[in-house]
Amino acid sequence: MMKPTLFETLAAVLAKDFNNGEVGFTGLLTGKAAAMFGTAIPIVAMELARRTRTPDLTLLLAGCYHNPDFSQLDRMPDCEHDALLRDLSAEAQTYDYPGQWALKRGDISFGFSSAVQVDVVGNINSVCVGPYEKPKVRLVGPILQPEHMTLFRREYIMMPHHERRNFVEKVDFISGVGFPGGEKGRRELGLDWGGPALVITPKCVFDFDREIGRIRVKSIHEGISHDELREATGFDLGNLDKTPITPRPSDDELRIIRHEIDPRQILFAPL
Amino acid sequence: MLSPTSRLKPLEEAAALVPDGERVAFGGFAVYQKPMGFIRELVRQGRKNLTVVGSAQSYDVDLLAAAGCLDCVETSYVGLEKYGLARHYRRAVENGDIRVVDYPEMVSWDRFRASQEGLAFWPVPFLGGNDIVKYNPSIKLFACPITGRPMHAVPAADVDVVVIHALAADERGNVVFPARRLLPQSNDVLMGRSAGKVVVTVEKIVSNAFIRKHARLVELPSYKVSAVVELPYGAHPTPALGAYLADEKHYEEYVAASESAEGTAAYLKKYVHLTGGNDAYLETIGAAQLARLKDMDSLL
Repeated sequence: MMKPTLFETLAAVLAKDFNNGEVGFTGLLTGKAAAMFGTAIPIVAMELARRTRTPDLTLLLAGCYHNPDFSQLDRMPDCEHDALLRDLSAEAQTYDYPGQWALKRGDISFGFSSAVQVDVVGNINSVCVGPYEKPKVRLVGPILQPEHMTLFRREYIMMPHHERRNFVEKVDFISGVGFPGGEKGRRELGLDWGGPALVITPKCVFDFDREIGRIRVKSIHEGISHDELREATGFDLGNLDKTPITPRPSDDELRIIRHEIDPRQILFAPL
Repeated sequence: MLSPTSRLKPLEEAAALVPDGERVAFGGFAVYQKPMGFIRELVRQGRKNLTVVGSAQSYDVDLLAAAGCLDCVETSYVGLEKYGLARHYRRAVENGDIRVVDYPEMVSWDRFRASQEGLAFWPVPFLGGNDIVKYNPSIKLFACPITGRPMHAVPAADVDVVVIHALAADERGNVVFPARRLLPQSNDVLMGRSAGKVVVTVEKIVSNAFIRKHARLVELPSYKVSAVVELPYGAHPTPALGAYLADEKHYEEYVAASESAEGTAAYLKKYVHLTGGNDAYLETIGAAQLARLKDMDSLL
């Protein structure tokens, strides 16, 4: 059996969560770890799904480029709206808002967010650390998180780092809403659909008990001990005795990733 | 026959259309096609107490923060993308010198759509549970009069003036946009149609005949435009689509300077507080560096 990298494993986990005919939206994140989790893993996951299970999945790169031809790229783009992407071959190119996809009708099936903090109900924060009116650290702002967490049919939260300060009891600012009060709580807030499906980190995969609205560990990555995971997480993880190890990709999946999707190691460039 | 009025103005005069205390929107999006040359002039003239309203900000807001020109920023993002947080802005917010009003990204666009439609607010059905509502008393909860569902009324952008940087216009103020445009240029069109006072800086002033040849691409006809300024490389160091790419070398210099007060003072002295305005700025950047930034676009 071939030995997968962590990133290949995470892409394969995600790929099994997509359905045929869906539309997946990736941003274009920058910085090595952030770009890997926020952009490269989602792209490989969608390309893998398109080749193995869901041929009609539409990949939206940077929210604009429908099913782009990655074989034309010499490097990962690091700017969303510049000349390199303008000239990338794609099936459709979004250049205005509103554009091809009707955001508020729920045309986007799923998206990928990163955040500085995630809390136990799945709220996310990219606005500030500390009190809002006198922040210890002022971050970039909510960006598209409010829309990702409500208008998209579901959301995958991609966390490039798994430290206590990232996984907290309660976020300092809710810029994307999780499951406060469970699915019932979301309905009471006027939210018809959406919310976080999985949280992917370098140490584990979380999902949610949607009845009570609480995060839980779905699987732990190979080589990560329970103690290490608890030490790196700022909230109680409960009993992990029956929690499985994150499944490895099959040899077939690894061959497709390495030889068809990313033969030049542009997406999964060595860090 | 009378001649049409020229709206062509020198930069110093056009900058007077954005006085102290104004609510101003800058075109472009995030780190793309920001009217930086105009913003440098605002800094030179020592503008104070501005409120910047937009959808995503970067070097525009950060430079104004560095020079102490801002009271308030209403937007979804202030950052330098791959160069990280906007340091001047971050420090000013943490010190309590700038008030921030956070809006979601597409809601920020919708605020300009409301202004374009002459509406006081835009209805938003997906803000329940978000702290954006908790900290912003201007956003009002209401029940949809048709279905009864809870919604939020988000105030229109309602800016006093819009400033954008475009490729070309004629002296009358007919502004042309490339057919191969991206979101930042479409944002310019939206903003340009949402305010009563619009200032456009352009790479080049062209003839009325050139405009007539591209009539379908004249998204802002002259009656929408208060003033045009010829400002070559007026978006630098941000890119202008179809003309030049981002100046990564300059970004690095800017970011390094923004780490300290001394660095910032030196940067402002070298690149902003110049006698000779935009021409002096371009001389300082240097012809060879500017030439390397050319965007070839398509030859078709």
